[in-house]
Amino acid sequence: MMIGPVGALRLTPSLGTETANASAPQQASAAGTSFADALAQAASRTVGKLESAETLSMEALKGNADTRQVVDAVMNAQQTLQAAVAIRDKIVSAYLEVSRMSI
Amino acid sequence: MDALTTSLKIAASGLGAQSERLRIVSENLANAQSTGNFPGADPYQRKTVSFVSELDRISGGSLVEVGAIDRDRSAFPLEFQPGNIAADENGYVKLPNVNVLIEMADMTEANRSYEANLQVIRQARDLISMTIDLMRTP
Amino acid sequence: MEPVNLFDLATRQSQWLGVRQTAIAGNVANANTPGYLAHDVEPFEKVLERTAVSLTATQEGHLGFSASEAGFRTRAQEFDGAPMPSKNTVVMETELMKAGEVRRAFELNTAIVKAFHGMLLAVSKG
Repeated sequence: MMIGPVGALRLTPSLGTETANASAPQQASAAGTSFADALAQAASRTVGKLESAETLSMEALKGNADTRQVVDAVMNAQQTLQAAVAIRDKIVSAYLEVSRMSI
Repeated sequence: MDALTTSLKIAASGLGAQSERLRIVSENLANAQSTGNFPGADPYQRKTVSFVSELDRISGGSLVEVGAIDRDRSAFPLEFQPGNIAADENGYVKLPNVNVLIEMADMTEANRSYEANLQVIRQARDLISMTIDLMRTP
Repeated sequence: MEPVNLFDLATRQSQWLGVRQTAIAGNVANANTPGYLAHDVEPFEKVLERTAVSLTATQEGHLGFSASEAGFRTRAQEFDGAPMPSKNTVVMETELMKAGEVRRAFELNTAIVKAFHGMLLAVSKG
């Protein structure tokens, strides 16, 4: 329902080796590719959490769910979403900064 | 009129009805010893309240109202009090047909019903508040 | 078919809860009215099934809900307690318990809506 803006994370441009990412998995391949991979994983994880929170919430509204499970799922989704949005904002501002650099 | 406001209206009518009931009970209790003032006179006659449910046209809710205030027609107990103004030729006085224990029980019931209606009002008011709160930015 | 949108489903449930609250209020107010039969609203699952049927009858593509489209039915409840001479079937304890259920469900409903609304806002913020 609102996965669109978050899914845009998948379309991030490659930012080269300068970009630091604390959670990037240590891989033998070039740092740029692994960062994009990490981002894609983060994005799909967020989408997954959002979908499960939404499904569980709809079950709760119909009266078929355990309250604590719903609350946990929604909080999880909120946390993941907040992180994803923060990353997206950083990427956008970094991209703008790079694009402003004189050649 | 939305459902929550309707339930406020219904509970308010419940409060009114139970208040009226309490008023009648206190009248009965206050007059439990009130005899007449001439020989052979009738004493205070116990009052009773009956409720009716009233369908409110605007909201569709079932309100409650006091239907009628009736008189209890049960017999007046007699007591031998030859000195009383209301004593008849044999010295017996008619006492009010009010039973204090019954009135106290009725009063407790009325209080409980009053509280329950108050609970409904509090809850409806809270639910309305929660709904409006949705708009507030955290 | 049921409401596919979380917010629509939440609105529907909160309307249903409002009607249930009204039924409870009527029962509590009329707890001493002779001849009054305790009412309750039909279960929420039944409402969803019913509106699914009526939805297909209306225009295709029209997925919204309005309170007028499918009213909630209230019915006098079957009574299996001790019959009172006044024929009144309201049991105060049951009503207070139902009121508690309504409150809990309403709190969950508004909390869910608030959470997802917040998430939508966070995502849309520049």
